[in-house]
Amino acid sequence: MTRDDIVLEVKDLKTRFKVGKKIVNAVNGATFSLKRGKTLCIVGESGCGKSVTAHSILQLLPPVGYIEGGEVLYTPHTGDRPKSLSSMKRSGRAIRSIRGKEISMIFQDPMSTLNPVYTIGNQIMENLRHHEKISKAEARERIVRLLTELGIPEADRRFDEYPHQFSGGMKQRVMIAIAMICNPNILIADEPTTALDVTIQAQILELMQKMQQEHGTSVILITHNMGIVAEVADDVAVMYMGRVVEFGSLRQIFTNPKHPYTRALMRSVPVLGMDRSQELASIAGSTPDASTVFTGCEFANRCVHATDRCRNHFPEDREVEDGHRVRCFLYEEEMKQ
Amino acid sequence: MKKTKVEKAAASSLAKRNLQKFLNNKLAVVGAVVLLLIVLLSVCAPLLTPYDPLYIDVSQKGLPMSQEHPLGTDRVGRDVLARILYGGRMTILIGVVSALGATLLGAVLGCVSGYYGGKIDKVLVYISELFQCFPQYLLILLLVGLVGQSTRNLLVIFIATGWTGMMRIVRTRVMSLKEEPFVESCRANGIRGLSIMFHHMLPNTLGPVIVNATLQVAGYILSEASLSFLGMGVPDDVVTWGNILNAAKRLDIIQTMPVLWIAPGLAIALVVLSINFFGDGLRDVLDPSSL
Amino acid sequence: MLKFIGKKILILIPKLLLISLIVFLGLQLLPGDAVTRTVSPEAYQYMTEEQLEALRDSLGLNDPILIQYFRWLGRFLTGDFGYSQASGSNIAQMLAGRLPYTIELAGWAVVIADLIGILFGFVAAVRKNKPIDHILTSGSVLGISVPEFFFGLVFILIFSLKLNWLPTGGRMAAGETGFFSRVRYMILPAFTLSIALLATLTRYTRGCMLDVLNKDYIKTARSKGLGDFVVNVKHGLRNALPPVLVLLCFRLPILVSGTVIVETVFNYPAMGSMILDAISAADMTVVMVTTMVVACVTLIASNLVDILTAALDPRVRLD
Repeated sequence: MTRDDIVLEVKDLKTRFKVGKKIVNAVNGATFSLKRGKTLCIVGESGCGKSVTAHSILQLLPPVGYIEGGEVLYTPHTGDRPKSLSSMKRSGRAIRSIRGKEISMIFQDPMSTLNPVYTIGNQIMENLRHHEKISKAEARERIVRLLTELGIPEADRRFDEYPHQFSGGMKQRVMIAIAMICNPNILIADEPTTALDVTIQAQILELMQKMQQEHGTSVILITHNMGIVAEVADDVAVMYMGRVVEFGSLRQIFTNPKHPYTRALMRSVPVLGMDRSQELASIAGSTPDASTVFTGCEFANRCVHATDRCRNHFPEDREVEDGHRVRCFLYEEEMKQ
Repeated sequence: MKKTKVEKAAASSLAKRNLQKFLNNKLAVVGAVVLLLIVLLSVCAPLLTPYDPLYIDVSQKGLPMSQEHPLGTDRVGRDVLARILYGGRMTILIGVVSALGATLLGAVLGCVSGYYGGKIDKVLVYISELFQCFPQYLLILLLVGLVGQSTRNLLVIFIATGWTGMMRIVRTRVMSLKEEPFVESCRANGIRGLSIMFHHMLPNTLGPVIVNATLQVAGYILSEASLSFLGMGVPDDVVTWGNILNAAKRLDIIQTMPVLWIAPGLAIALVVLSINFFGDGLRDVLDPSSL
Repeated sequence: MLKFIGKKILILIPKLLLISLIVFLGLQLLPGDAVTRTVSPEAYQYMTEEQLEALRDSLGLNDPILIQYFRWLGRFLTGDFGYSQASGSNIAQMLAGRLPYTIELAGWAVVIADLIGILFGFVAAVRKNKPIDHILTSGSVLGISVPEFFFGLVFILIFSLKLNWLPTGGRMAAGETGFFSRVRYMILPAFTLSIALLATLTRYTRGCMLDVLNKDYIKTARSKGLGDFVVNVKHGLRNALPPVLVLLCFRLPILVSGTVIVETVFNYPAMGSMILDAISAADMTVVMVTTMVVACVTLIASNLVDILTAALDPRVRLD
């Protein structure tokens, strides 16, 4: 595997929130990479920092949030020099020319992500005409074509309708249209199906995959649904308490999970084709408070393998097989051999 | 009902936390302190000034600030400082009594309206809307014109025209409380409507009621001042800050005797400002959900 | 939308009727004969008792009260408001000479309060917890804490008496009727009248803006690469505005109340001074009719704002 394959690389990203006088470490060293044209799934329980990680990439953080360390490197085309997104000015020209055009985002709840006072056509057009100098008529034509592709019937008429006239699934299609209208290199989808009906979920995922194949987009999909991961992911990053604890290909993570948390996670969700007699296990204990200061591995107090060393020292990120990295002391010996 | 130890501990820790929250809001604390100080000054007026605020001494008229008269005297020789100190009593009293009356009336009507719903509710809401579409001062002026000027009349008019806001607040709260399980269980246990309303629901609306009553005191102080400035508030022989300001309707007084009107004006501003800051602080603690 | 406007007007009409009924009943309770309020005083002087009785009959003053009310209302709608008890003048004519100036004053105050208040609230929200936010929020508390007449007096002292920039009061100088010479007389009163509303709007706009800025569609707008200003105005303010305008309708009566005081401070001869004079002269007919007219105008004005607000919301507009 050569470095050129990588379109986005996140290295030891640290994002903080300042709430009053308290500082919350929302992301505490996330490292992963996205291969060109592939899908990376970031999984984890709610509150593990996966959403904040996604927002940090484009610096779309609320005013109280800021990136404290690490780097986000973006390589627009194979062979280009990587750009450091994390060192760009927060809402400066440089990052704004990338947002929506080269890297775009879809959010969780389509009910609230569309502005209720503008027509959906207007909102898609806003993105297109902000980044490309084309006439309104041309833009409209392109948008209607994309909406039709996305399975919105009578797209030309619906272009002039308002969000409240659309169902949830249709709104999410509109969001995909906003994200895809400029043919971005990367699409970041933050739990795009969580707020939708199960039947609609499948349709939306299918559409996203179709878009990805047709446009060659690289996708980061954030989800807590292991079923979705199994279906769409090429690579998987498992997050726990603001850290990526395990990263690898879908096969590596699903057939050979290394980190005790990943293993526990795998046992806790039903997977198609799994033995009926096998019981689902829950993970002991609960997620610690986000503002907790750790002296060692964040998972130590819930981990069956935990030793004193785990509680007092941070494990390093190590590669256990090609492209499969784990942050756990258990595999140290294994590696030395 | 006796509270268990745990409940007491929980209550006191909540009180502590709330107090801490209030103390963190510096403006609110300053407001409370200033307010206390002004009330104290007004109450202790006889100890602080030897003059009678109503005593007219034409030989002493229009004196500038001096040792004997720290803020000078007015057009008929009354000591301005004495009038301001004594005026604070009546001004604050009118504000507090009117706010209490309007709050009580509004809370009871709001409770009834929200709890029973139906026709009573419709009629009460309609009446309150009707009141709100009259410009308030005009309505008050009209009523003053009808019943004549006196302190008692002014209080009655203030209360009669000022209950609508409180009624709406309590009504909305009661309507949402009605859906709560504890009210259901009260009803299931056969507790009478009146008792549910006033024993179980009204206490639950207390937070916003206290906050708004506090802010209403400020509103009434402003109203009284404005009406008395117009000469339509309390009668001349009652000293309030608004009445002192009544003199400033003439241009020559605005120019030649600025202390006469700036001093009571600042007093009003200071009191109302303190109440508003204090009320905002209370709101953060007692009614955090509101904007 | 038409249905919405129709509904609004339908709600408005019974309210206006009720106000008029209350005023009518109030007028009935006043001492004196109703004839004195419907016939001009000159004519009244020369009438005999029989003629008066006949007039009462012909005027229907012996009819049931409800019929009398509708007749009174009919006259009212055609612009016959009756006569003043004190001066005998035609109330409609008195109003015609005063009401427009009060509306002009209030109108300017609303414009000033809207423009500055919404701007201040917007800036405070966008710069939340920065020094400018603290200054504006504290300033707005000051604005609602100081009585408006006190502001007026201070302005007169500073801008008229000390600096001599603007007139101390009045509506216009003798012989000058041009728009620009009138504006000089309007600046201080209109600004004084606007302060309380301005402060309220600042606080409320700030609150609404902060609320909107937390919404997901703001994130969507930012994810398109739009600049902060475009996001804040086009997506933020546009959505924060409707509730602010709703507040404005509720506050309109309070603003109109203020005109009485401001008109007194600045010696601005309009509705306020007319009402005050009428109260002093115990001329209750004038007071009641005037109050009713002002209440109706205010009610209609705030309903207009309400309809305007609804027109800004596609969810209402399209239904």
